[in-house]
Amino acid sequence: MKFTPIRASLISVAIAASFAVAIPANADETCNSPYTASLIKGQEDYVHVWTLGVKGMGDESDKLVTVDVNPASKDYGKVISSVTVGGRGEAHHTGFSDDRKYLWAGRLDDNKIFIFDIGTNPAKPKLVQTIADFTQKTGYVGPHTFYALPGRMMVQALSNDKDHGGRTGLVVYNNKGEFVEKYDMPTGKHGDVMADGYGYDIGINPQKNALLTSSFTGWNNYMMDFGKMVKDADAMKHFGNTMVMWDLKSMKPQKVMHVAGAPLEIRWSLKEGDNWAYTATALTSKLVLVKQDDKGEWQAKEVGTVGDPSKVPLPVDISITADAKGLWVNTFLDGTTRYFDISDPEAPKQVYQKVIGSHVNMVSQSWDGKRVYYTTSLLGNWDKKGADDEQFLKLFHWDGKALTEKFSLDFYKLKLGRAHHMKFSAKTVQAAALSDKPQMSLAQNR
Amino acid sequence: MISRRCCSKMPGNPCRALALALAALFAACSEVPATPAQAPAEMSAIAVPLGLPPMPYPAGNVPTAERVELGRKLFFDRRLSFNGTMSCGMCHVPDHGFTSNELRMSIGNEGATVRRNAPTVLNVGYHTSLFHDGRDRELETQAWGPFLANNEMANPSMGHVIDKLRSLPDYGGMFERAFGGRGPSADTVGQAIASYERSLVSGNSRFDRFRYGGDAGALSAQEQRGFAVFSGKGRCATCHLVGDTSALFSDFRFYNTGIGWVRGLPPSTVHVQLTPDYSTELTEKEILPISETVPNDVGRFEITLDPDDRWAYKTPTLRNVALTAPYMHDGSLSTLEEVVEFYDKGGAGAPEQSPLIVPLALSAEEKADLVSFLKTLNGEHETHVREGLQQSSYVSTGSHRY
Repeated sequence: MKFTPIRASLISVAIAASFAVAIPANADETCNSPYTASLIKGQEDYVHVWTLGVKGMGDESDKLVTVDVNPASKDYGKVISSVTVGGRGEAHHTGFSDDRKYLWAGRLDDNKIFIFDIGTNPAKPKLVQTIADFTQKTGYVGPHTFYALPGRMMVQALSNDKDHGGRTGLVVYNNKGEFVEKYDMPTGKHGDVMADGYGYDIGINPQKNALLTSSFTGWNNYMMDFGKMVKDADAMKHFGNTMVMWDLKSMKPQKVMHVAGAPLEIRWSLKEGDNWAYTATALTSKLVLVKQDDKGEWQAKEVGTVGDPSKVPLPVDISITADAKGLWVNTFLDGTTRYFDISDPEAPKQVYQKVIGSHVNMVSQSWDGKRVYYTTSLLGNWDKKGADDEQFLKLFHWDGKALTEKFSLDFYKLKLGRAHHMKFSAKTVQAAALSDKPQMSLAQNR
Repeated sequence: MISRRCCSKMPGNPCRALALALAALFAACSEVPATPAQAPAEMSAIAVPLGLPPMPYPAGNVPTAERVELGRKLFFDRRLSFNGTMSCGMCHVPDHGFTSNELRMSIGNEGATVRRNAPTVLNVGYHTSLFHDGRDRELETQAWGPFLANNEMANPSMGHVIDKLRSLPDYGGMFERAFGGRGPSADTVGQAIASYERSLVSGNSRFDRFRYGGDAGALSAQEQRGFAVFSGKGRCATCHLVGDTSALFSDFRFYNTGIGWVRGLPPSTVHVQLTPDYSTELTEKEILPISETVPNDVGRFEITLDPDDRWAYKTPTLRNVALTAPYMHDGSLSTLEEVVEFYDKGGAGAPEQSPLIVPLALSAEEKADLVSFLKTLNGEHETHVREGLQQSSYVSTGSHRY
């Protein structure tokens, strides 16, 4: 599909509108697009868990599981809804539409995108639309990150339909679920860096007109048995080693930065005026700071280490606190969550760690940082096997010094499957005016 | 003992002589010896480039242009896997030498493990048996193996695939036009894919021009020295045959090189290259919790149950070998240099290893010459790559839309 002026202008209009009207959108519980319209102030009522079906378990299908997490509810800590979408397609990540009424959920294997109505009754999400032609429209495979733009949804893919490798791109839909445009990730020499064309996450800083992307690997690797892949020297050559800073308004790559070892989740500082973001590299276990230098040029530099890199603990999800002073970092293989003091983003210091389970992937915290949720599944064929294959959703309370477990839901015992991505919702969503929370002027994607 | 190691089970092919004769006939008269109802509308003589013999095909499946075109569409159609993610072309990638350069061993439906490396399908029409273990001898039937294998395309039945084809409007009339009125069936699907695969010829390499084209300058002095090693001290040509008028670089027999046996003996530590500049060592104990039970692989034995065939695999063609890394049936060697080192040391040293594989005592220069020669075997097949890539993406094929 060629880039057409009409489609380009549509996107430009949408993004320009975001600068004119919604700068910056109200932040959410530290992990949504800055264009997400509403903010849960205080206690969330529900956690929605995008869950992978498991062969031989229950209906064997992927499903959106809703858990009541309000301690005042009689159903606190219980599953109150489960919406099966049919089949297994490597359920992975989700993202709210800008109005927070709809949740888009993707599958990395069969490339289907499911849109759930969350706004009408968040206790009972309803599947209202399925996009089944993502690959046919784009040539990309693996719709991964769902990132709201004004009236739009931006999707970062992981792979392609020519060789199932890592070259891929970004896709923009409108809120009706109609394809608008696609953008190939850059390849070739950019400055001194060879762009690999890979993708993973999206993070936008509207004030800086900055769209930052990271890079993982293609279908060949993310669908392969983890142990098999580690032993495959040729497969291991195909992980992303770059991050790309895009000009958001023009959607053109501005700078390609060398960040070795599969930089994954992107978390912008939420403090107004800040010009930096964090990522963690999965293979090399590094914390990387992306920040403007004195000349305003974006630079990526390693600022810390997570665990013992020689043991490949595999940093996965990260979650930044609303005040940008703390960062949770999960390492999958040792099942550990770590808390870093990032008051000085140039010098993160680990101040706490706790083993959450035999393995752990996602971490999501409430806006006030007092409640921290964890799930286990990374990828269907990467999760640990045998007795180590725990699958749960756990809630902990964080008092600034230690995590205290409040409940644990065993997703295998409940015949649900592998618990992956989490999103919060509330019975009554209150919009927060920018003037109420100026420090909330930015947020990032998850 | 030799017969135990060198399986020597060159599959006899009674149709082959006939097919060759038919090929010659068609090349001469370009007519279709079929009933009017079955007569294809257009003949496609498979033009054979320098260095290759005539392309054989069975009398009942003349590779017409329409069958080749239909076969290409089928070969790259991801919809024909159970969950719509896999096609033949996802493992046999056109610009990866019609194999996959990114994986040692393929993966299939839902990431399921396939035990072996995807072989190139360039020149596959010449193979006397198919798959690394030779379990099928006809391209017409071979295609159904991956269609139905749980760890490949995972379709529940032939009928499921055929029903799907009948429901896809963009196939409307293609089968009927290619097969004289016959629609999608187990036979016509196999015949169309076989026709496309037979069309994937690749020859006229620099070696071909040197050896068969009378162009003495087509190979450098080093490459010519490498050919001498290949044919002499290196003993490569014992199994990778080079004829007087053409060369397929394979005898299509089955040998135990020791690679398969060694694979059953996992090392206690694994070197893991995490980035180009950073690696680590992980123990088998550390990898075990993230590993499935590795399926065993006994090679040709699984087909014949003959103990002499344990860990024996088919001799691969070396045409385009520089394009088809990684190497060996399990992709365990990443470069041609590693392959040459492997054979120079006399293979893996397995107790049941073929006696043909012995230490060679090649000098460093001879090994470099040999690698240099192997890189001259890249043939001309740009059209196949271009057409394959065009067909492989939904975006570039409007007819692939749902």
